[in-house]
Amino acid sequence: MGGLRGDVVAMADPEKSIETGIIISNREIFKDHFLMILRVPTDFRASVPGQFLMLRREEGDHPFLGRPFSVHSLYSIDGDTVMEILYRISGTGTALIAKLNADDRVTILGPLGRGFDVPRRKKKIVLIAGGMGIAPLFYLAESLAKKRRDELGETVLYYGAQSSQYFCGLDRLKRLCSSLKLSTDDGTAGYHGPVTDLVADDALSFERDDSALFACGPYGMIKEMARIAGKFSIPCQVSVEEKMACGIGACLGCAVRASGENTSKRFMRVCKEGPVFDTGEIDWNYREG
Amino acid sequence: MKDNNSRRLAVDIGGLVLKNPVMTASGTFGYGEEYASFIDLSVLGAIVVKGLSITPREGNPPSRIMETASGMLNAVGLENVGVRAFIDVKLPFLREFDVPVIANILGDTPEEYCEVAHIVNEAEGIHALEVNISCPNVAKGGIDFGVNPDLAFKVTEGVKKATDLPVIVKLTPNVTDITEIAKSVEDAGADAISLINTLTGLSIDIEKRIPHLNNITGGLSGPAIKPVALRMVWEVVRAVSIPVIGVGGIMKAGDALEFLIAGAKAVQVGTANFVNPRSTVEIIDGIVAYMERKGIDDIEDLIGTLKT
Repeated sequence: MGGLRGDVVAMADPEKSIETGIIISNREIFKDHFLMILRVPTDFRASVPGQFLMLRREEGDHPFLGRPFSVHSLYSIDGDTVMEILYRISGTGTALIAKLNADDRVTILGPLGRGFDVPRRKKKIVLIAGGMGIAPLFYLAESLAKKRRDELGETVLYYGAQSSQYFCGLDRLKRLCSSLKLSTDDGTAGYHGPVTDLVADDALSFERDDSALFACGPYGMIKEMARIAGKFSIPCQVSVEEKMACGIGACLGCAVRASGENTSKRFMRVCKEGPVFDTGEIDWNYREG
Repeated sequence: MKDNNSRRLAVDIGGLVLKNPVMTASGTFGYGEEYASFIDLSVLGAIVVKGLSITPREGNPPSRIMETASGMLNAVGLENVGVRAFIDVKLPFLREFDVPVIANILGDTPEEYCEVAHIVNEAEGIHALEVNISCPNVAKGGIDFGVNPDLAFKVTEGVKKATDLPVIVKLTPNVTDITEIAKSVEDAGADAISLINTLTGLSIDIEKRIPHLNNITGGLSGPAIKPVALRMVWEVVRAVSIPVIGVGGIMKAGDALEFLIAGAKAVQVGTANFVNPRSTVEIIDGIVAYMERKGIDDIEDLIGTLKT
């Protein structure tokens, strides 16, 4: 399958750094889901949508490893550089991060990894988010809205959540995207079923040479997206999540198996070769679930 | 060699002179490239690269890591590019820096260790070998070389014959009496000993009732193992006369100083690199600050000064 990466908008590889972020707010938007807003140094390197950070509480030794978070939004306000991180409590580390308050400090290492490569002159950009998968795709939608003002083409967002109250930032997303297609697991909003069903139903209408897919969500969902993209021969980039200790390519913890097309390295590092991959780069049986 | 503050930090490890006693631990620093954007590699005492085998190894399937209380388990499975690709592709980058490179080597049989040692010996820009004997001996039913004094002796003896470089043997803590293994590798000609490698551990997902790691067990590293490492270093220092390098849970300068006071001539910083890529440099600075505060001019005057 032809990937997107040969035909990309030139994006500089921003140099990574270690910085201190100061929390402006860190509030629960719904059960176990938090939005952290941080003030970061003004010279914090602009991150490419899809890149991530390792974030660690400045105080306290437990947990001692940082946790990876994608950038949800990054903007300037009153001369400050402000970053948003959208996350869900998924273990001890994120539970402690959720307890941080305004003025608490965090250490951020980043931006890290390979972000989304957005091709020029595609008529249709399709974003597919499952649950927390909206986190990096929101930033991508913001960046596309800025870029595509002077370009033809539309950005369509397919967004699935457990239930209607679990969507994040729908008002802002409506302004950023040409159209929004929702699904819920319990049928309380939009299509009743997995968001990938919606994409599969519409996939025939995507012109394969003029469309690009970008997906983020639970493993099962992005695996299904890889199948759909393969079936319809539409290039699709996915953001992959794995446990990692360092985020910079040293610990080799965040391994995913490379597909047969990519035999030069049997395992790739999510933090370094990813977290964004073309679906064809990965052997999707690399783990169960 | 004196640093800017006129404190003497240099140490001699079996003929290899380091400008300071702080090195990186194998498997936590890749081949140096990942850290070059955070620190000047030339300030390090030495870089110990990721373990090298005769042919590339792809490592274990995920999940490979799990954070535990004050530590982490890993079962990466010795993934590495292989000794030849290391020399051809990775080593030229490291040669650009003014820092000794120590090749960590591993194998499935004593012969493989020797073969890797021989290949490394011919390469330009490698200053010493560190032998990882925490590997299963494939020919002998998979028992680790490092848990049996005779096997440890055999591997060490073979590697010594295959190279002119100083040979450091890295010991596993998963043994009943570490001094027995230490004396055995000293008798076999080791120039120095580093310890400890990771402690074997297990972590379980109680919801699914499965191990957190695909490999079931993994190696525990990080602050949790420091007291064990320190105790073992202290025991080995008194059992052998070759230099000992302390490894295990060193996060801050204070941790490194504990090992030096216990008698280690140098230390390796491992898991801390994952938390803070500048850990090594901060530890070196912290050691200098401690020496200034204590009025110690030469690090040798600090090593092995534990009062008991």
